[in-house]
Amino acid sequence: MGKFEMLICKFTLKFIKIQKGFSMKLLKIGISGVRGIVGETITPELVMNFACAFGTYLNSKPVLVARDTRISGPMLHSACLSALISTGCDVLDLGICPTPILQYMVKKFKAEGAISISAGHNDSKWNALTFINREGTYLNVFQGEEVLDIYHLGIFTKISSDKLGKIKSVDNYLDVYFENLSKFLDAESIRKANLKVVIDPCNGAGAKIIDLFCQYLNCKLIPLNNEPNGYFPHDPEPRPRNAQEVASIIKIIKADVGFLLNSDVSRVSIVAEDGETLSEEYTFPLIANYYLKKNPGTIVTNHSTSKMIEDVAKENNCPVVKTKVGQSYSIHSLISEDGVIAGEGSGGIAIAEFQPAFDGFLAMGLVLEMIVKRKKKISQLIKELPKYHIIKQKIYCPPTKVHSVVNEVKKLYLNQKIDCSDGVKVEINNGWIHVRASATEPMIRVIVEDKSKERAREKAEEVINFISLLVK
Amino acid sequence: MNRATSLKISISGVRGIVGESLTPQLIASFAQAFGTYLGQGRVIVGQDSRISGTMVKKAVLSGLLSVGCQPIDIGICPIPSIQILTKETKAIGGIAVTASHNPKEWNGLKFINKDGLFLNYYQMEEFLDIYHQGEFSLVEVDKYKNPKFEKNPTELHLRKLLSYFNVDIIGQKKFKVVIDCCNGAGAVLAPHFLKALGCQVTLINALPDGSFAHHPEPVPENIAKLCRTVIEKKADIGFVQDADADRLAIVNEKGEPIGEELTLILAAKHVLSRNPGIIVVNLSTSQAIDDIAKEFNVPVIRTKIGEINVVEQILTQQERVAIGGEGNGGVILPDIHPCRDSFTAMGLILEYMACSGKTISELQKEIPKYYIIKDKIRGTPEQAHQIIRQLKRKYMSKGEISLIDGLKIKFKDYWIHLRPSNTEPIIRLIAEAKSREKAEKIVWQFKKQISEILKWK
Repeated sequence: MGKFEMLICKFTLKFIKIQKGFSMKLLKIGISGVRGIVGETITPELVMNFACAFGTYLNSKPVLVARDTRISGPMLHSACLSALISTGCDVLDLGICPTPILQYMVKKFKAEGAISISAGHNDSKWNALTFINREGTYLNVFQGEEVLDIYHLGIFTKISSDKLGKIKSVDNYLDVYFENLSKFLDAESIRKANLKVVIDPCNGAGAKIIDLFCQYLNCKLIPLNNEPNGYFPHDPEPRPRNAQEVASIIKIIKADVGFLLNSDVSRVSIVAEDGETLSEEYTFPLIANYYLKKNPGTIVTNHSTSKMIEDVAKENNCPVVKTKVGQSYSIHSLISEDGVIAGEGSGGIAIAEFQPAFDGFLAMGLVLEMIVKRKKKISQLIKELPKYHIIKQKIYCPPTKVHSVVNEVKKLYLNQKIDCSDGVKVEINNGWIHVRASATEPMIRVIVEDKSKERAREKAEEVINFISLLVK
Repeated sequence: MNRATSLKISISGVRGIVGESLTPQLIASFAQAFGTYLGQGRVIVGQDSRISGTMVKKAVLSGLLSVGCQPIDIGICPIPSIQILTKETKAIGGIAVTASHNPKEWNGLKFINKDGLFLNYYQMEEFLDIYHQGEFSLVEVDKYKNPKFEKNPTELHLRKLLSYFNVDIIGQKKFKVVIDCCNGAGAVLAPHFLKALGCQVTLINALPDGSFAHHPEPVPENIAKLCRTVIEKKADIGFVQDADADRLAIVNEKGEPIGEELTLILAAKHVLSRNPGIIVVNLSTSQAIDDIAKEFNVPVIRTKIGEINVVEQILTQQERVAIGGEGNGGVILPDIHPCRDSFTAMGLILEYMACSGKTISELQKEIPKYYIIKDKIRGTPEQAHQIIRQLKRKYMSKGEISLIDGLKIKFKDYWIHLRPSNTEPIIRLIAEAKSREKAEKIVWQFKKQISEILKWK
């Protein structure tokens, strides 16, 4: 899959100049939180205003807070804590903690909600707040809009000295999580197999905690970038171009599998035992193909995810529900559709029976279980999946033009059936093209997938050229 | 609470009521402005024991980090220890989260420069200009620093105290001491310090949880429990600190409060006996200090009200100053650090008792007796200005006039001081005389004259 990454690099160079002269500051306010560049848009005041709005929304009830390892983490963390207790919320501070574990703890601690301080896969300049409700899921549209209304109104609950919230640091929660994860997985079988695993948490929130994960499953861990210091040796995005380090050692040390994590452990990409760096698109269908065999049911995914999942669904005779891109949409659809599994092509998966959240530890655990139970290597398991070629590309575009440009793209596919529920999506022959506005950056994302490598490339070039002319 | 009195931004820092004016956003802006003023570097951040301290401190940390400063979080710590730590560890500045003696709904920030002193008038002006202009030097992530925690922030202060005092002489006396920390920051250091001086210590209100068992001002009406305990424990002396541990009041071995005015007078008498130098006090400090100065033949310099004004004068006079302070129980010993310090005050009093071999009530008796009466009358700063002008004309030939802060008129053995309040539309009157009746009479006379001037206007 590495070849396709190179292809994408070529496109990137072509369009980088569009970014020149573009001076609007990067800030994305969405239903489940706010994301931006630290020192530009992410300031103590902005963070406090959002945390105050969330505390006001929660009616001064207890809230969990965790962060990833980003250098700017302590600034946002202090601002959140100060603001939350000023609205009368008691804060249970989990410190540095992966988002899925934070989400799992919301119910355990009977909190009213949580704030996760992490920008997931974005580089270290970025940071973000994500708001989580009392069920441990990202806020849904209605909840998110309520928080935004309070934020925009700017009137927050103010509490006098004697009724201010208290901050309590919590530890030992990791064991609670991993005990429950072990119970959910067939931990017994995994432990017996004594697997060897390479994991690269990119010095993010997963660092050091992966040691505990491997202890619980009796795996021998070969860690890379395992310091929770926030210095990202590569972008914390689990995808082949960042997997070179893992790929370079995995064969030599004869490990069974390699994993790449994003900075808050909500996404995973896999490296096969023979050193092949799998596209992050494989994580979801690979796990679904295994999990659905014993637990058939509805699959939830977004419009930008590889067709592989549809083939997996057909094979297992399960219905597929598609949503807009974003964890919040997938998870709330998983709940409302009574689905069993939700996932995205970016490497996030959630299993309804475990918890309604994209969870990298769960994903890794299921992959390990699959290796053991199916008695096959990763390189063999991916052969069971249909082969597609996927090209992902982003094009910088002023935020004021993004949606109109996306809308224009319809003209390129006049005679095709267009799905407009999230940008523009067209299915042609054995593939599809999806053009949409990024929810987190001022960019247009183009994703093209096809059975044929050449056709994928042609289609991608066509639409990218079309868009780049509009953006200029 | 009306708006005019719930937020106060002045030369002595920022103070406000939590849940009203003192919001996390406001605090973070001040911290950002301070970081912008100082430049990037280490900033000591300490707090008194107020319940809202954590909320305020977290906002400060966030603000400092965003402008590229490295906050050193030292937790609950006496103000003088914060000042000393800032200087000795070569930090670029410090922020004390405190509202001094204000009631517990309040909190605030005091700003410390690299010399461990509160910002003076000019520095404060520059800093507030940055705050008001509202643009702070936010830094990119690669210039962010890691916040640090300091677990033992009083150690340097304690070491300085113990190297100054004659620990052997004090230790031999094995004084029984009762100390009331008012659930304030003093509780962090007081027991260690007094034990290091060989005292048997009984602690009252020593949990620094900000619950303030009594109003955090060390005046007689707030310290009934201390007085009782001194008698019960047959203690040699009782001490009471204010919430941020810069001021001290004393209870004698009979369980009687000796009045916070005497803290400085007794400390000065002891210091002058071996180091006769200039005394620097504010205008409202008891004239007993003048009597002591006469005894040792040293000059007294009087300044405007406000700790920083006394400190600035001490710095101007440099080594020639032996001691400075305020009548409110604030003792400043430049040999330790030019700041108000209740621990320095305790050490001086105990050393005085040890060296003289006298009890505190005996030492108290040697000081000339004066009575101070404090009162106030409604009036705007503009009206105060008129009143001062008229009274000055009237009394020019009858007494010694000082106009450095309002109007002070000194007569033969009594004085009166009028000045507009910094925080409320009132005029404060302070008078001191040999008897309570006389002091009351002076205050009554001046209040009457002021009313007449106001009516006539």
